[in-house]
Amino acid sequence: MLAYYLALGLRHLRQSPILTGLIVVTLAVGVAASMSTLTVLRAMSGDPIPEKSDRLFTPNLDNRPDDGSSRDPRPPEMLTYRDAVALKNAKPGLRKSSVMRISPVIAPSRTDVKPFFGDGISVHADFFKMMDVPFVQGGPWSEADDARGNHVVVLRESMAEKLFGDAEPVGKTLHLDTYDATVTGVVSDAWEPVPRFYRLVSGPPPFRGVEDLFIPWSTAIANEMQPQGNVNCFTDPAPDAPPGYEGLKQSECIWVQFWVELASASDAPAYRDFLDGYVAEQRKLGRFPLPTNNKLFDVQGWLDVNKIVSKDTRLQTYLAFGFLLVCLVNCIGLLLAKFTARSGEIGVRRALGAPRRAIFKQYLVESGVVGLVGGAAGLGLTFASLWFLRKQSDEFAVLAKMDWMMLAITLVVAVVASLLAGILPTWRACQVQPALQLKSQ
Amino acid sequence: MEIQPILLTLRRSKTGAILVAAQVALTLAIICNALFVVKARIATIDRPSGVAEDEVFQIQYAAAGVIEDRKGMQQADLAALRAIPGVEAVAAVNSFPVSSSGWGMGVTLDGKPGSEIPTGVYFSGESFVNAMGLKLIAGRDFQAGDVREVDDRTDARVQADVVILSGRLARKLFGDEQKAIGKTVYQGSGKEAQQMRVIGVVDTLLSSSAPAIDDYAQSTFIWPIRYLGATAHYAVRAEPSQRARVMKDAEKALSALRPDRVLINLHDMGEIKYRRYRHERAGANMLIAVTIGLLLVTASGIVGVASLWVSQRRKQIGVRRALGARRRDIVRYFVTENLLITTAGVAAGIALAIGLNLFLVSKLELAKLPIPYLVGGMVAVWALGLASVIGPAWRAASVPPAIATRTA
Repeated sequence: MLAYYLALGLRHLRQSPILTGLIVVTLAVGVAASMSTLTVLRAMSGDPIPEKSDRLFTPNLDNRPDDGSSRDPRPPEMLTYRDAVALKNAKPGLRKSSVMRISPVIAPSRTDVKPFFGDGISVHADFFKMMDVPFVQGGPWSEADDARGNHVVVLRESMAEKLFGDAEPVGKTLHLDTYDATVTGVVSDAWEPVPRFYRLVSGPPPFRGVEDLFIPWSTAIANEMQPQGNVNCFTDPAPDAPPGYEGLKQSECIWVQFWVELASASDAPAYRDFLDGYVAEQRKLGRFPLPTNNKLFDVQGWLDVNKIVSKDTRLQTYLAFGFLLVCLVNCIGLLLAKFTARSGEIGVRRALGAPRRAIFKQYLVESGVVGLVGGAAGLGLTFASLWFLRKQSDEFAVLAKMDWMMLAITLVVAVVASLLAGILPTWRACQVQPALQLKSQ
Repeated sequence: MEIQPILLTLRRSKTGAILVAAQVALTLAIICNALFVVKARIATIDRPSGVAEDEVFQIQYAAAGVIEDRKGMQQADLAALRAIPGVEAVAAVNSFPVSSSGWGMGVTLDGKPGSEIPTGVYFSGESFVNAMGLKLIAGRDFQAGDVREVDDRTDARVQADVVILSGRLARKLFGDEQKAIGKTVYQGSGKEAQQMRVIGVVDTLLSSSAPAIDDYAQSTFIWPIRYLGATAHYAVRAEPSQRARVMKDAEKALSALRPDRVLINLHDMGEIKYRRYRHERAGANMLIAVTIGLLLVTASGIVGVASLWVSQRRKQIGVRRALGARRRDIVRYFVTENLLITTAGVAAGIALAIGLNLFLVSKLELAKLPIPYLVGGMVAVWALGLASVIGPAWRAASVPPAIATRTA
């Protein structure tokens, strides 16, 4: 019987085409508006590294001066160079890496490409394993390279192609700022964690840009590469402080993001204790004048505290769902009109013995069919509006991408919405009095 | 008036009326709030930067090697830029208003910790005021004797003795821009605070980050500092009609000067503003699209329900016409009926709009909805209801009286 109702529902789509068209368009527009905003919201609030986001931590230490200027209860969002080095060299933590954004001049050996500024980060060798970075060729540099500050580099796939064309990049050299670096590996273009949690607080916005190259932390420091992004100094340099890069390294300025991977999430308290102990040690040397105020954030905590999902996006999502609600109310009215027009037909069926239940089923199935068609149209519109959004800005280009999950949600939302919209008109259709309808014919 | 019979009829076909009223209410609630947000975004996008926006452009090179003679480079660049016909003023700058990348510092009135005002900082060895086309509203511009030289390789601190404040910062500190002149303010607080004397105030000067919160965006100051950094960053002011040509000439001239650097920015002020406010613009466009979609959907809903009623009531309309009702009586009937329903919807909609606004205020720190938006929304929804019902009402009026005699 259900199959028959489905067939009937499909057939009735063609009956009163204007009304049906209106229902389908209304539903499609509502679904598209709400689903495209939801897609963006979901991408923004997604987990960038689901397998281990509860085991990756970033520590914040409060090294601000005790002069009453530090009103923000949150400690600074990055580390000083000294603390980053100390935490890297300390024992606790399975893997550890500093992160600093850099922008060295890349002078390719190819003569047809002019020198240009690359976007990259300098990290420790641990970074690649910590972040599950997939390689298409070669691999990360070694810890020995880290220790010696060797001139090695890991490239992103698209950058390797730009620099070396079809040639095998691993083992080749390219000129960076002031030295020649050897390529040890090529990272897949598919590596695109959203948001870029590992360099969240400094540099480009969290949903924009990719790293074209990775170089060892110690190499960047030895070559005095400038950090690209914020350098926050809560304390002005001492009168006898050296100028330039050496001064920056010795200062209380924060400019290093630091990540540590623990063996399990339950090791976090122990690592917190370790941090508190480290700060207590340093306090004896005259640093950290404020009471101990260390924070250790896991990935989700870090995204939350930095308020990654913009208020605008939330606002748009709320309003888009309000829009869907209006579309639904509208569909109820239109379905009511469509079903009322068929009172005569219902009267005949009822007179011939159809129970109310059968009528209910038939018309609910019909609403569902309209919902499916509206959902399919809405899906098309959603793809169109996401495509349009991707053209708007680099951020949307990363965020406005449909995945299977969203595809399924969209269809479910459309069908559930149309079923909800169909309940009242269907119920009204069941109330048709057979005698009255037959008489008025 | 025929309100009584309309109400009686409505009582018999409640569902349609309630649906239309609900739709009107939701639409009103959403468009009031959406348009309010759009207005705020547009106000942010349109606010003046203080810079002569038709005349100024930015040109910036980054070093592709080690540049030793930074002062020499800067002077050669400035001379080359000044030599271009059509150039009115040039300055080497540390950052550019609204360009999303710049310097920030804290300013205090007394140097005591705890009251620092976050402030955007500009400096130049030339006249920043002249090169940007800013309007000086009190005091004087810097003179050659005020200028200090800072090289980031040898000087750990950046500081100057005199300062020009933005109008907003001057008013925030002293209440009035004239009163600020000659007064002392501090950069920073505590033992590192450095004293400086206010010698001038400019009308408006947005910070480089130009955040949506106007108070942060408007607090800025200018220092007379020739900063010798690795990048070469210049503001150039030219005749509006010649700017495009001057930009091309400037790139040619500076690129020819030395090969060891790369052009990273060449934008006129219009482009800079366009890039900075892209996000605000996308948000506003999205909300406008939602508003238009809502109005269309609601209009189609009203047309749908009204048409349904007209077709259901053909017979009654025929009878009324046969008994002497004129066409315009019929039109008036449907219009009045629609007006009643819309008004009920508007009443509920105002409550909903305020509720939605309160929700947004608490969740997203939105401002409270001003009354004119509610009134405007009401008028819009009423007009929409009237416009949508005219068509079906007209069709109702053209039902021939003879219908009354045809069927049983």
